Amino acid sequence: MFEHVDPRSPTPLYAQIAARLRVAVASGELKPGDALPSVRQLAGKLRINPATVVQAYRELEVEGLVSTKQGAGSFVLDVSADKRQKDRQTEARRLVREMLSTAASLGIPTADLRAAIERELKGDSK
Amino acid sequence: MSFAIETKNLNCRLAKSFSITDLSMHVPERAVYGFLGPNGSGKTTTIRLLLGLLRPTSGNIAVLGMQVPDQSAAVLARIGYVPERLHLYPSLTVGEAMRYHSAFYPTWDEPWANEMTRQLQLDVTRPISVLSKGETGKLMMLLALAQRPDLLVLDEPTDGLDPVVRRDILGLLAQYVTDRQATVLISSHLVHELERICDWVGLMDHGRLVAELPMMEFKTGLKRLRVSGAPDSLSGSPFTLLVRERGNGVVEEWLVRGWTPSMQQYLESAGASLREVIDLDLEDGFVEMLRASRRAE
Repeated sequence: MFEHVDPRSPTPLYAQIAARLRVAVASGELKPGDALPSVRQLAGKLRINPATVVQAYRELEVEGLVSTKQGAGSFVLDVSADKRQKDRQTEARRLVREMLSTAASLGIPTADLRAAIERELKGDSK
Repeated sequence: MSFAIETKNLNCRLAKSFSITDLSMHVPERAVYGFLGPNGSGKTTTIRLLLGLLRPTSGNIAVLGMQVPDQSAAVLARIGYVPERLHLYPSLTVGEAMRYHSAFYPTWDEPWANEMTRQLQLDVTRPISVLSKGETGKLMMLLALAQRPDLLVLDEPTDGLDPVVRRDILGLLAQYVTDRQATVLISSHLVHELERICDWVGLMDHGRLVAELPMMEFKTGLKRLRVSGAPDSLSGSPFTLLVRERGNGVVEEWLVRGWTPSMQQYLESAGASLREVIDLDLEDGFVEMLRASRRAE
């Protein structure tokens, strides 16, 4: 699930992990009651600082997506369809913002970007 | 904040051309501290000073709240050390090396040591002289971890090892840190590995500690800007301008620290226009900081 976590990205690792889990919950890949990997497991697997995993889980806990029980681990909470929909929209907006900022740094005008999106959506590869 | 390692104005002259100069470093308790620097910048010498293997000319060293070198023995009992080079008798087998090592450490965790030999696929009957580089690296890490130290001092523990072995070793380290909440000082040239696991960074150059800061700060505030039309001198800038390079055209390249997007307004009010903001990863940042510090010398 975490193949795309990239320590070199300017987005902090904890935020990348939280974002990936948010998508997994929103898309139903992770279901209510499912356990998240333990901090030890995920830190060992990704060779990252355990504090990074804790920070990612804490963020999701604050958002009401998971609950952490001392000694038992973190579990996905039952999230309403409404909230899942909202989370998908938030993620979509985040993706667009990321694209916009990359485009801005390359000096691509908004009109060109909009045209490119339209073309992609129509499936025109030219 | 309390520190697992704290040095004050440490000086150590080893040769005419090489010395550790005025080194004040602070490794917070429970930090995983990446110790960076080019070859010959003094990382290994500093580590030897911290362990009491070298005596400073002047200055103060406290490790785990104790004075070094005066209380070195008590300090070393709580440190797991992986030296840069193999320090084991080559005629011993893996199992013998483990028994030999365990005799020095009352905290040695034998069941766990045995479990790690299985996890790392180390054959306890093989002599050290025939181990591959990767197996040697695994064994050294195993020995350091099995004594259940409060502080791990790792001098290039994975340099020269293949990616699979590096993963094994660093995965084990991350698990140990989770279980034990130990402090780690780790030096390496493999900057991308440190970028994953470290939450603090110290950068050495020419025997001096030229920067020390939390990884997050190091990474988020450090940017390369492409700017045009900026006045020759800037006053009251909200960021720190480390390097300013004029190219051939109108665009200048700046290296800044403490940058946030809202600071674009400041540039515009100074009559400059911001062409591009380039994110720097740890390796870029490392190279740029070295250039900046050398320029300042």
